[in-house]
Amino acid sequence: MLPHRLWRRCNSPRAALARHFTSGSAVTPEHSIYISESTDPYFNLTFEDWLFRHKSPEQPLLLLYRDSPCVVIGRNQNPWKEVNLRASRTSGIPFLRRHSGGGTVYHDLGNTNFSIHLPRASFDRHATAQVILRAVRSMGVDANVNDRNDICVGKEKICALLRTKLTTRRFYVSGSAYKIVKDRAYHHGTMLISTQLNTLGELLRSNKDTMETRGVASVRSPVCNLQQYHTEVSHDKFVQAVVDAFRREYGVDEEVHTVHDTDGTQEIEYIRYGMDVLKTWDWAFGQTPEFTYKIQNSFAWGSLAAVLRSKHGIILSCTLTYPQGIGPDLKAKLEELAIRLEGERYGFVDEGVAALASRDRCAAEVWGWLRTEMDS
Amino acid sequence: MFHRHPAALLVLRGSLRPGLGGRRLPRALFHTSRAHFALKRFKLADIGEGITECEVIKWNVKPSSPVHTFDPLCEVQSDKASVEITSPFDGIIKDLLVEEGQVAKVGQDLCTIEVADDVAADEPEPAPAPAQSSSGSATPEQSGSSGAGYGTPPEPVQPSHPPVNAGKAQQHHPAQTWRPHPLDPNVPPEARAQFSSGTGKEVLATPSVRHYAREHGVDLSLLAPGSGKGGRIEKRDVDAFLQSGSAQASATHESAVSHPPAAEPGKEVTVELNRTRWNMWKAMEKSLAIPQFTCSTYLDLTELHNMMPILNAHIPAHYLPPSSRPSPSSQVISPASFHAPPSPPSVPPSAQYTRLTYLPILLKTLARAMHDWPLFRASISSPPDAPKPTMTVRPHADISIALSTPTGLYTPTIQAADTQSVYALAAHLRHLAHLGRQVPCALTPKEMPRRGGTVSVSNVGGIGAVESAAPVLVPGGGVAIVAIGRAKWVWDVEKDPKGERRLKLGVSWSADHRVVEGAEMVAFMEAWRSWVEAPQRLIADSV
Repeated sequence: MLPHRLWRRCNSPRAALARHFTSGSAVTPEHSIYISESTDPYFNLTFEDWLFRHKSPEQPLLLLYRDSPCVVIGRNQNPWKEVNLRASRTSGIPFLRRHSGGGTVYHDLGNTNFSIHLPRASFDRHATAQVILRAVRSMGVDANVNDRNDICVGKEKICALLRTKLTTRRFYVSGSAYKIVKDRAYHHGTMLISTQLNTLGELLRSNKDTMETRGVASVRSPVCNLQQYHTEVSHDKFVQAVVDAFRREYGVDEEVHTVHDTDGTQEIEYIRYGMDVLKTWDWAFGQTPEFTYKIQNSFAWGSLAAVLRSKHGIILSCTLTYPQGIGPDLKAKLEELAIRLEGERYGFVDEGVAALASRDRCAAEVWGWLRTEMDS
Repeated sequence: MFHRHPAALLVLRGSLRPGLGGRRLPRALFHTSRAHFALKRFKLADIGEGITECEVIKWNVKPSSPVHTFDPLCEVQSDKASVEITSPFDGIIKDLLVEEGQVAKVGQDLCTIEVADDVAADEPEPAPAPAQSSSGSATPEQSGSSGAGYGTPPEPVQPSHPPVNAGKAQQHHPAQTWRPHPLDPNVPPEARAQFSSGTGKEVLATPSVRHYAREHGVDLSLLAPGSGKGGRIEKRDVDAFLQSGSAQASATHESAVSHPPAAEPGKEVTVELNRTRWNMWKAMEKSLAIPQFTCSTYLDLTELHNMMPILNAHIPAHYLPPSSRPSPSSQVISPASFHAPPSPPSVPPSAQYTRLTYLPILLKTLARAMHDWPLFRASISSPPDAPKPTMTVRPHADISIALSTPTGLYTPTIQAADTQSVYALAAHLRHLAHLGRQVPCALTPKEMPRRGGTVSVSNVGGIGAVESAAPVLVPGGGVAIVAIGRAKWVWDVEKDPKGERRLKLGVSWSADHRVVEGAEMVAFMEAWRSWVEAPQRLIADSV
């Protein structure tokens, strides 16, 4: 959801829809089936949110889209925990925070996203998962839904001889998340068709076991692509299958409506604003719940442990545990450094801190280490 | 407010000066009453999908922020679902009971919201007898005077654990005419289904229209569907209804109020208290927490009485109704011949009068005495269970007036009475009486602000020949209340041993003994007397 004051401005009642269309934009939220040809993740997420807020609450809606490579974390997650930020920077693959809950996923052009919007009263995640499952099955893939409504492939085998169940490894091809508001809810998720799984693995591996965070932690699952099971599966085929399954389930007889991010959609204030918000530090990092990161490092002069506490992306405290025999001078400088860090943005610390640290060689070392850890 | 004196009845007739060409006071007389505010607890509703608890991610409001129905309150997260929770009430946030990052269970209180209406407040939990509490909540709905039929629900009667009380709760819901909020955890799904979109009659209206309708006592379900988009009810629909329907509404209301259900001769009849009476009940129970003492005296109005003809002859033209104003042509030489004099303030017809009475002068002198006595310009500002109480002194004298109207007992407040002239106070009183007399009552929170006055005045003498009374102070009514009786001529041998005829007015004060000492009350009373009995002082002091 947009920040509160933006929400009040933009989440207009139906009557204010007219305001959005006087600019002559071709896009309206009155259709039921949308396919976005844009691969801009900021656009697609915001467009999804716009449809969610502006479509008549009683009517079902389906949206399908693909994004260029990016990592998408859940509403209440910790990007430092979930995303390998260093890899993200070096590869140029950004991360975004979405509006729905749940865990972290990787999007690229081999991954197709679906989003089903329904009236809240009739929303049922099992039912919507079944719609997608039917679509996948109709392409000839033998898939199942687990008890968390995730779609996976891989069977249970029964060994007749031993009369025991042997489960082969289950691989997940889809991850889901939900959002519920007053009178509307959506289930959206990914479908791995031909994603670069190596990149996925690298970006989602941050290995910060000593970072404890209050938000929702991702459930790590082994994944695979649908194309591994059925080479003919493709984005277009999946899209068609989902549209058919959706039409049958909800009795919708409408044409598919295609959307681009160039045909006047950016003139819609809600969308323009929403896209900007997704890029702000306040949204991307400032929504992080409280977390604690315990690290330690050995220097020439001793071993230092640090506990960094942060909330909403701001460093609350940096508590240092000094090695025995540390000089009082250095200790004082490090204390000063630790106090100076309070109130700074985690991972985006002001240059003045570096200047402070650089006055002493050892303090500069410590600062360099802390900065590296925060950047990772 | 209720007087312990048995002679005090809510009969709307009488005059202050018997035997002196008894001028009738306005129909709406002045008594005290407590403004109506209820504290609602908002619980985490069942989100469905078998979810039993959620983490609160973010609050969109904080204590003392105002909130409208359907405004976002907070976001919670469970598992993979992020849920946005909106407010079911219009009101002001009081306390947030769960912090960001904490987990709340379904049915747990999330926050409290202060709601400015007088439907059923917080019921104590658990409510052992559903039948009794149901009749309690059904009552305000049936009285139908102001604000019936919201479209936003009050807190329902039953405590939490819908499965247990589902059977009992169900029988009460047909009596409710409002739609339960989708997040209301205490409404069983079957009852909610009656009101779900697509089935039953949907009342569509924006919160501002709902508020407007509530202020004017219009039941929105009577208007649905409205003339707006999608059948929503607009403000013009409410206005149209008021114009056409008000005549009928007041007729039915009058019959409801002044003619209790006609009993068969000789049979007992059970009458439920209407909303305002029930509020009086609640306020009076709360007043038991205030230790009160009374003292009374007689004020000598003879000097004032002698002044009245002159004061009446010179009521400023803008306060007179147009028919009573002197015609401009009667003035041959006028001040306007040189330059237009400052134009007088515009006064609505409801505030115009032809005769000045004692009450505005008594209020003015009271305000003047309050100016010298900061204690009587102070109100208790600490919450009830605060360890150390505090009082806040106001720079001006705010006086609340008890108003007895066809729709019930109200206490509008005259703010900064010390800054208004006697004539202006008379116009103000007249206007308040006019508003109170309307059915439904036209008094708004502007006339009855939350903070109220520091001293209350009840003019019971207008109703009957009251000599003394022991008025009751309720929370929010200030530190003291005075009941003003009826003036009468007596033969007085106090000043002149030979005796003389004096006009005496009985006044009775009750004060909050937690903050006012007996001696202080008496001294203040004497200060007031010194202004009332020698009103000429006002000329030199400040008028």
